[in-house]
Amino acid sequence: MAGVIHAIEVEGLSHVYGGAVSALENISFSVAAGRFTVIVGPSGCGKTSLLMMLAGLRAQSQGTILCQGRPIPGPDPQRVGVIFQEASLYPWLTAVENIEFPLSLRGTPKNERRKRAGAMLELVGLAGFGERYPHELSGGMKQRVSIARGLVQDPPVLLMDEPFAALDEQTRMTMGHELLRIWSTTSKTVVFITHSLTEAVYLADEVLVMSARPGRIIDRIAVPLPRPRSYDMMATDVFGRLRDRIWQQIRKTP
Amino acid sequence: MLVIFLLLWELVPRTGLLPELFLPSLSSTLDVLYQDWRIYAAALWVTLYEVALAMLIACAGGIAAGAVVGGIARLRQLLLPVFSSLYAVPIVILYPVFTAWFGVGSESKVAFAGIYAFFPVMLSTAAGIRTIDPQFLLAARSMGATLTQQVTRVIIPASLPTVFAGLRLGGALAIIGVVVAEMLTAAAGIGYLVTLNRTILDSPRVFAALLMILILSVAYYLLARAVESRFIVWQSAGKELPSTV
Repeated sequence: MAGVIHAIEVEGLSHVYGGAVSALENISFSVAAGRFTVIVGPSGCGKTSLLMMLAGLRAQSQGTILCQGRPIPGPDPQRVGVIFQEASLYPWLTAVENIEFPLSLRGTPKNERRKRAGAMLELVGLAGFGERYPHELSGGMKQRVSIARGLVQDPPVLLMDEPFAALDEQTRMTMGHELLRIWSTTSKTVVFITHSLTEAVYLADEVLVMSARPGRIIDRIAVPLPRPRSYDMMATDVFGRLRDRIWQQIRKTP
Repeated sequence: MLVIFLLLWELVPRTGLLPELFLPSLSSTLDVLYQDWRIYAAALWVTLYEVALAMLIACAGGIAAGAVVGGIARLRQLLLPVFSSLYAVPIVILYPVFTAWFGVGSESKVAFAGIYAFFPVMLSTAAGIRTIDPQFLLAARSMGATLTQQVTRVIIPASLPTVFAGLRLGGALAIIGVVVAEMLTAAAGIGYLVTLNRTILDSPRVFAALLMILILSVAYYLLARAVESRFIVWQSAGKELPSTV
């Protein structure tokens, strides 16, 4: 695709555990800069492993991964930020200290750290909650802090590993909507992993559907819904058809 | 509650319900402390000195050994069962050996109590490091943390509550170890005063020494709690606010 800048390019990626168990098989895809891509698949399909490889946190057996046009042999927070499930916030740090954490690892001066963390806190709608510890925050608030921590380093690519999986359905929908709002103010490329079909369609520009182990990409679905997305789009025929198509694909594989 | 206890302590021997030999009254016990305060202060000083050294050995050795054993999987599989079962051995049986090696002075008490207190510190440090949520480290790596930063910024703070719990227990065992050792073979210290006065049936002096040990233990406990709550603000984790996005 000439003229399109790819933030992520994966070519012929395979992964085998312990020389025997095939976890990922011949995965190829690319994500254009600034696009929101959702990978959806049954549990155990290796989607988290795939994300860890995109983040440089795990090595693949075969194939290449290019991020911003270069391989990613190890974690590189300047290029790729990762947002995990809520459990990865440090309970001994306040919300604002958690957000500052990646900056302090790099030796950013305290004043600048505070300023940037404060701005992020405001962006995710938690102004005034900076001094709270994670255990003093609700599940949704913790996830907002996680997003702020991922954004504060300002990487062009954000990887999100089922960030809302631990939340209840209503909070989850609200957080998805919030994420789109935050994303629209940035120009980040997002790869988002989930097993919720509704979440996938609601968030994505493009949905990649993975099969059960060994994980392969069995379908790519462009989501033509306009942005900004709104809740009543879920009731539309287009939304329902897309959701149903993903479900059929996942159901087909054993 | 405490007032009732103290009142009973005073009244039960006074009314003759129990002979003074079994339970000397509170006033006669306090009177001994008042009369002989130099002796008791000197004994307390010796005991405190021994306890402090024993705690130092237990903390330094226990944290270092616990960090190594907890951090390295192979060592953990090899050594943790050994240490755990050693912990169950009543180490006091070794005390006669310690007096043979280190003499009857402070050194044998310090060595004995130090080893006695070493085990809980070491085991809880190992447990604290082993039970760190792997997500914490994964997140740190994704944010570009070096190995040193992973240790200082994640592993140490994450294992602190468990290590502190071990230190609190270890400190209590150090006090017990020193006092017991002094009671067995010694020429100084609070434990020595207990044994000495027991053999001459001087109950008020025995109880005066017991009272000091009690106060020492409670003071230690309060101090340990205060230090702990200063350093660890996040132990009440788990209590969540109602879900408000």
